[in-house]
This record gives sequence, C-alpha cells and structure tokens, in this order.
Amino acid sequence: MILIKCPYCGERDQSEFTSGGEAHVVRPKNPDSLSDKDWGEYVFYRNNPKGIFYERWVHSHGCKKWFNAVRNTSTDQILKVYKVNEKRPDFSDFENTLKSPSGEPSVGSGNFAVKK
Amino acid sequence: MSAINNNCEYISKKQIKITFDGKTYQAYEGDTIASALLRNNIRLVGRSFKYHRPRGIYTCGIEEPNALVQIISEHNEPNTRATIKRVYDGMEITSQNRWPSLRYDFGAINNILSPIFSAGFYYKTFMGPKGFWKNIYEPLIRRSAGLGKPPKNFRSKSTHQYHNTDVVIIGGGLSGLVAAKKFINTKYKVLLIEQDSYLGGILKNSNKVKTINGLIPQEWISETEEQIFNSKNITILKNTLVTTYNFTNHLIALEDKCAGKKIDLNKPELTLHKIRTSNTIIANGHIERFISFRNNDLPGVMLASSFEKYIHRYGVVPEKEPVIFTNNSSSLSLLKTLISLGCKPKAYVDSRKKDNIETEIKKILKEKDILFFSDAEIEGCDGNKKVETITIRQGKTFSKIKSPMLCVSGGYNPDIHLFTQSKGLVKWDKNILSFKPDTPFQKTITLGSTSGNYNFKKLCDEINEKLSILKTKKVLLDINLNVPNKFSIKELWETKKKRISRWSKSFIDLHNDVTTKDLRQAITEGFDRIEHLKRYTTNSMGTDQGKISSINSLAIVSKMLKKEISEVGTTTYRPPYAPLSFAAIAGRSTYEFYDPERKTSIHSWHLKNNAIFEDVGQWKRPWYFKTYENETMHQAVQRESKMLRENAGILDGSTLGKIEIKGRDALEFVNLMYTNAFSKMKPMTSRYAMMLGEDGMIKDDGIICKISDQHFIATTTSSGAPKVLADMEEYLQTEWPHLQVYLNSITEQFSTFNISGPKTREIMMKVFPDIDFSNDAFPFMTFKNFDYKETKIRIMRASFTGELGYEIYITPKFGLDLWEEIFSCGKEFNLIPYGTETMHLLRAEKGYIVIGQETDGTVTPIDLNYNWMIGKNKKDFIGKRSLSRPDTSREDRKQLVGLSPINKKDIIEEGQHIVELNELPKKITNPIKYLGHVSSGYHSPNLNHSIGLAMIRGGKNLLGQKFFVTATGKTKNIPVEIVNPVFIDPENKRLTS
Ligand SMILES: [Zn+2]
Repeated sequence: MILIKCPYCGERDQSEFTSGGEAHVVRPKNPDSLSDKDWGEYVFYRNNPKGIFYERWVHSHGCKKWFNAVRNTSTDQILKVYKVNEKRPDFSDFENTLKSPSGEPSVGSGNFAVKK
Repeated sequence: MSAINNNCEYISKKQIKITFDGKTYQAYEGDTIASALLRNNIRLVGRSFKYHRPRGIYTCGIEEPNALVQIISEHNEPNTRATIKRVYDGMEITSQNRWPSLRYDFGAINNILSPIFSAGFYYKTFMGPKGFWKNIYEPLIRRSAGLGKPPKNFRSKSTHQYHNTDVVIIGGGLSGLVAAKKFINTKYKVLLIEQDSYLGGILKNSNKVKTINGLIPQEWISETEEQIFNSKNITILKNTLVTTYNFTNHLIALEDKCAGKKIDLNKPELTLHKIRTSNTIIANGHIERFISFRNNDLPGVMLASSFEKYIHRYGVVPEKEPVIFTNNSSSLSLLKTLISLGCKPKAYVDSRKKDNIETEIKKILKEKDILFFSDAEIEGCDGNKKVETITIRQGKTFSKIKSPMLCVSGGYNPDIHLFTQSKGLVKWDKNILSFKPDTPFQKTITLGSTSGNYNFKKLCDEINEKLSILKTKKVLLDINLNVPNKFSIKELWETKKKRISRWSKSFIDLHNDVTTKDLRQAITEGFDRIEHLKRYTTNSMGTDQGKISSINSLAIVSKMLKKEISEVGTTTYRPPYAPLSFAAIAGRSTYEFYDPERKTSIHSWHLKNNAIFEDVGQWKRPWYFKTYENETMHQAVQRESKMLRENAGILDGSTLGKIEIKGRDALEFVNLMYTNAFSKMKPMTSRYAMMLGEDGMIKDDGIICKISDQHFIATTTSSGAPKVLADMEEYLQTEWPHLQVYLNSITEQFSTFNISGPKTREIMMKVFPDIDFSNDAFPFMTFKNFDYKETKIRIMRASFTGELGYEIYITPKFGLDLWEEIFSCGKEFNLIPYGTETMHLLRAEKGYIVIGQETDGTVTPIDLNYNWMIGKNKKDFIGKRSLSRPDTSREDRKQLVGLSPINKKDIIEEGQHIVELNELPKKITNPIKYLGHVSSGYHSPNLNHSIGLAMIRGGKNLLGQKFFVTATGKTKNIPVEIVNPVFIDPENKRLTS
C-alpha cells in the first residue's frame, strides 16, 4: 500500500483514495460536432504506459476532492501531486527519475531482481 | 539418544505435559513442539505432501519444510510449524497427512508409484477424459495430497495495530541489537522487532561467539536489552514476525500474543502490526541451506546449525553421536559444542580439500580420535523410517557408518526475502556462494549476515558506516570467537548417487516433494526459464517457499543450462515471508463487524409485524410480511399484490437515495446529468429521469423534484446513491468547475413512505384532513410541503405500482408515529404493508423497469422504448452523443418487450433464454440461436398467469410473434407471445385517477 499526498489533507494511506484513470482527458465542448471515431476515442481510449503516467485520484474517504498525480507505474512512486486547476507539469521534469528499480524494458513484465 | 544441555538458560525447568498423536509426553515451559519431541526421542513427525514419505524435524525455526503439525487444542489449527510453535501444559498435537496412522500410512503407495508423480504430473495426468476431474481426480487429490484439515468453530479475536515510526529494526540478533544500541536516547522513534521470545539471535543459538566486550553472550544480551528497554524512544516487539515489506516503507508484522500460552478466548491471540516507517534496517540474519543426496529427507537428517540451536536455545542435544557433513568452515562451532558436552560425533565429512580445512578442525578431530573424511561427501543414507546407515564417498572408496542422525551444512544464504520484497536488487557473491543485497530501492539498510557479511570482526565497522547517514553515535564492539574469522566454503549442491532404486530419491524441495530428477526432467521438456520451472515442478512453492533449498535449485539449474547463476536469476520473492493467518488479516472485521447494517426508522415496526428482510446494499428492507406461520413467500407476495390493487398498500421507501442539488446553476447541472429536459418544468413538479454513462448506457434512474431553478431533489436507487453522488461530484469538480452547484446527501434526513392503491386517496384524506387531495388540486407528478403536528412534511403524487399513489417525506424522528397513524386510519380500508418483492411484481405488471434487472450496463433508454425521456433539443447531456453511435443506434439491439405464455399455466422463469425451437435437441451439436433473455418473471395474481419482461434482439418489431422460453431441467420449451410490456392499465387511467 502506497502513501498518497492529498494536496488538501496531506499524506494518507492509499486505502483512503480511489483512482480515476488517466488525467487531462477533457470532455469535448461540443460532442455533436465530433465524428463517431473521435467521440469513441474520447469515451473508450486511454493510455496505459509503463513509466510516467498522469492520472486522477479522489480522496474518497477524506475531503472528497479530485486532484492529479504523476506516478511511475513500474515503481508506483508518486512523483508529483497537483490540484485540478493547476498546470500539467512537464514530462521532462520526470525523465531523470528512476524509471524502475532494475532498468526493466519499457514493455512487458518479468523478474529483474538480480543485478547483472 | 538425545541428551540434555544443563547450561541452557533460555528454557525454564518447569515441567509440563503435552500430547502428540494421543500419547502424553513431558516437556519444559519454553520448548517448541519440535524441541519437546526431540527431548522425547521422537524423530518421525509427519508424512510428506505427495509421496507420503516419513519425515522428521529438519530445522529449528521458520524455515522448516517438514515438521508441520495440527494443534487440536487450538480449534484444529493446521500446518503449524513444530519448530516455532511454543508448547503449554495440556497442548494436544497430531501429525498430519497420514492415514490410518503415522507409522502405517496408506498413501505411502504414492512413493512406489512415484514414476508417475514426476514433474508436471498434475498438468499431464489430469487432462482428460471429460468429467474425470470433477468426479474422480479432484476428490482423490484432495484426500491424498494437501496438508492438515481446516480449523473448526473458530472465532478469531485478532486485532490490528498501526505504527508510524522513524526506524524499524527487523531482527533482534547481534546486528539488530548493536543497531538498536546506536539509537538509545536519540530523537528517533524506533521499533525493534524480534520473531523469537528472546533477543540475541546467533548469540543464543550457537557458541560461535565467545565473548563480547568482555562479557559472555548471555550477559551482554541482558545488559544491552536493559539499556534498550530503558530508552523511551525504542519499543521492543517480541514473538513478532515481519512478513511483508511494501512500497513507501510499509511493513506488516504478525505478533503471536499467546506464544507458549493457552489461547484465552477473551483476548486477541494475534495482532497484525501495520507499520509506516521512514527507514528500515533489515538484520534478520541468514538461513542455512541443505545439500541434496540420496534420501536426504529421512527422519534424522537435520541442518547442522539447527542441531546446534537445539542444544543452546532449548537445552536438548538431539543425538549424542551424529555424523557431520559440511562444505564450509562454520560447522566447527557444532563440533566444539558437542565436544564441550562430552559428546563425540561418529564422523566428520568435509567436502573441502584437506589443505583448505581449518587447522583447528583438524586438530580437534585428531585429538578426539573422530573419523575424518576430507574431500569427501555423503552419497546417501538408508533406514526404515529413520537414518540408520550413512554412506560416505571419498574418491572411489565408499564407507558405511551406522548413526541415527546426520547434520548437514551446505552454507548460508543471507535472508534476502524482505529486501527483495522491497524491490531491492540482489547480486551473486562468489565468496559466500549466495545472493546478497546490492542496490536498495527504498530507504533500506541491511546489516550483518543479511547483507552477506559473515565476518564478526567487521560487523561493528559495517554498522557504524551504514548508519552514519542517520547521524548516530559510534559504538565499539570487541568480539572473541570460537569459529574462524574468515568464512570458507566449497561449492556443493548435490552429491553423486551410487545406486538408484525406486525408493531412493534426492530431494530439492522437501515440502513439495520435488526431486533433483524432476528439475532435470522439466529442463529436458523445455521449461528452462526459472519462473516456468518453478511452477511446472512446484519447486519452492510450498508454505516454506523453499527457504533452505531455493538457491540450491537455482545453482543446479544453472549448471544444467551451462549458465551463470546470476543469468538464471531468482524467482520473485513475494509477501508474506511466512504464512499469515486469515484471522489476523481479517482482524475485528468479522461477523457483525464485517459490514454495517443500516435500518430505517420503521425497523422495529417491521420486526413486530413479521417482516422477512432483504439486504439492499447495507440496508435491511422488508422483503415480504408473513401474516401466518406457514405462509410461504409466494403466498405472501401474491396476497400483498392482489390486496394492493384492490384496496391499498404501503411500502417503507426510506432507503431510497436522496440528493439535494442547490445553487445558481442547479438547473444547468441537472440538465447535463440527466437525459430529460428540465427547463420548462414548473416548480413543485417532478419527473421520472434517467442518468446515463458517457457511453450512452443507463446508470441509474429516479425522480427529480424541482423546487425552483436553483433547487432540486433527486432520488436514486437504494444501492446506487453513493455512486450517483460521487459521479455528480466528479463532474462538478473536474469538468464543470465553473458551475455553482452544491450537492448534499439527504437520504437519512427523511423517512419515506410509498402508499398506493385505489383507496389511497380516502386514507390520505383521513390522515391529513386539512389537505385537498383532489385531482385538480394535487395532480400526478406534483408535490407540496405542509405543516404536520410539530414538524413539516412533503407529499408527492407518484407511483411505482401503476395505481394512484403518494410519497410522504417526514423527518425520521416522527417517521414511526406517522406510519402508525396511517395504519390506524387505513384499517377500515384494509391497508396492508408490503415488501420489495411485491413492489417488483407490481412494477413488472405495469412494465416499469428496475436498474440492474432489466438493465445491465449495456442498455440505452432507446432499447427500453423510453425515447420520451430524452431531451432531444438539449445541446448536451452525459451520454447524449453516444446514443447516435452506429452500435448504439443499431436496429437489432436487445430491446424491452413483454412475454405472455400461450398456455396460461406455464411459468416463465427469470434468466431463461428465448429461442426459436420448441424443444431442445437431446444432444446439442450446433449452437442454438439465442434471441434474448427473460429479465423479470412473475406470476401475476391480477392477470392470473405468468408474465415476463425480456430483452430480445430487435424486440420492438416482434410484437405479436411467437417464440419459446427455455425452462429449468426440461428439454421442452414454453411457447410465449411477444406483447407490450405494460400488462396493467396501459392508458394510465389508474395512475391519474
Ligand atoms: Zn484530502
């Protein structure tokens, strides 16, 4: 269980939060003007990277506020949290962070616990 | 024969009695089951998992693969490690996995049949024929494999405890104690966790250390423990095992609160500690590993350091004249211990070359005239249920020695389990021939033998250096040793076998009965990746997780594959470190504490009136009311449904979710969240409304009451309320933060009654004589507020039964009073209470849908013919755009229809399929065309036949056509006609009467 820092309440256990999937997917202003394909992509398609991921969380058993977080999905490290109205931090801010404990490949899983 | 070491200070001299397999034995307070059994010369304690081979006590701790027993006096607790479980007076123990008795076990035939039980046996053998798995294989495997039996009648009192600390030290051995010493009276909040009931680790388990700072180990432990204990910032937890090391330095540890004591039924027997720390120091030592040789599983074979631990920690010498077999320098301490007690090993077998063996060892062996074999190995051992003869190979010559015990040391593995759980990287160390921690991923420090440092003299420097980042004082340590300072080892994992009989096996995993031959076979079959190999052979997959053998198997496999061991890699170490009782995980969240029960203000009345309850989410709702002792549910529901349509009935609808929506932009918000158009709606009117997902599928329904453009009340389904509120919040916060809207859950602020039936108006007029209930003054789908006694009420004209109906909202404080008032007024009109089942039947007669029954997350309002609910002129609402997607607007989607049986006696069952065949073929060879399913099926007392609601492909265009509905246990299907889903009052005359 990881620790998550709610921007309003501070650090709390993960069990107090609910994940809300990818962040910065904005609901189109005029849905009717979108093609079926574009609308379908908004409704059904989300990124699922191994590595740096911008995602939404809600402090559901706390202040009930939604906020955004940048998490490294291969290590579960939360690199930054920020409020919904704050600017999306630049990807380059996190490029130098440890991507995985053992330098795993960017796709796939497996055990890489042994240092070569 | 065993003997006693009278110098042991860790065990009391208080005698107690225990029983093992029905026989009574003497033990000492402080004994483990294993030390007590060894004290009584018992070596055979169980049968193995697959081959039912006789097994004994192999180790003296958490790593034990064999000696698992069942504690009868603790609710049959199975799979208990005899090597760590402490005894108490009257403890009842039985062996496991044997029938009819431990000595004569029927399942041992598996050992003779062993060629068919080889690697991948389960996967290969139980592939077919069809039906064999369920009826023959599974029951057979369940009886003959597996360990122990499940506990009986056990209600755990386990608790959870939370900690937030700066430093956790795992392990109270030499390294852990030195580390803890450094934190005495510092600003750090420290937790020192020890698995045993004594601190000291190797100091109390062996005689490797002679003196520390001039004190004998026991004195040094006592002195240090006192200093630590007196330091207010350090807490010591004993009998506590750290099982899990999660991300963000989150540890889970299990404390045995009744170690060595009988379970007190009024106190927690286990405490699960959930610890969040800034720094973790792992100092939980090392685990000795074995060597594979022929019959290395016979009772009497034991790890050398475990043998020594029994002597020092428990005062039991398991055998006075064992044979010692080693490939490293550490066995000197066992040799010295035995000599000091006047015992004499039968032989000392060292696989190292004579020149590489320490002079001190050679000197002792010569002086004491002990048989000495250097550059030699154990070929195997033989005997009937115990070691009797031991065969030694030295070059080309074989020697046989008679001895009942064989002590084995294959070297030591740093206990890297927790370190790898924390995602740290390990590295192969050629000097100790094992993996040791390399790069930590979290704030983790490993000390002593855990970090691969087997040199006592270097321990102090290591600790001072590694803990310098925490700015602690230096400590000094002057250690005098009984063993060579430099650890020396020769690689040896498996010895050569001389002869092969079927019974002879060389084991690599004692717990799961995996042999070295199985490893070879698996590799030959292509399972050359270590994770595959592990699962195929079940190697190191037992409850001991191969603690004494997994590195051996990696080494053997790497040799077979001609690869470096670091290339082969390790399998993933996963929590828990050792089995964790479910009772401890559940803690107090069991039985009535598992989930809260929510009750309405009318609950006591329901109980008095024989309501049978149904769980709706956490709510207890009356399902139906029993009017006489033998009334069945069917009879009650038929009665309630008929009575309501003839007179009147009342339902406790308090559980219905209610959300208050207020603010400047409330109207715009409601227009966006729900499908309907609310702009032209008059104040104090209400509307049945639907909420969709962005994919156009129905999520929830309810009635929206408009008080003004700035104030709405939305009702939701009973179980959907929290989700609907959360979804509304999400959109407000994330998509439309510019909207000024405030949401408030008011479900529990109101008791709600739904009263309906043709006599309802008369009853209402009697209860509320001042209110005008005429159709003109109070039309359908309007609501009004009134003063009532000392409170206020809201009455809405609405109905879910299709009859004239009202909903009354009142504060729960006066809910029961009003409910009883309504009944006293309604008596002359034969008013009845009804439950949720009647509500479902009546709404089905009227063709009203229920979320989660007709809908399943794939149904749009158009599929239900509810086009009138869609505000087509609204620019946008959640899900609107999806309704015109090609898939959502398909003509042949499953659509809502009614079903009426052609033969009025036939029963339409919920969940059945709708097909074109009147009869199912005896043997189904081709898929049968499926048209849809029955979503609701009831016997209608008002129509006097069965009715159904169904979702059928292209159903809208099938009105009047005939199909068939399948029936439980029959091949003959029921002929039905597709009809309008509204069976009662399609013109809504009753609703608006
Ligand atoms: Zn918060």
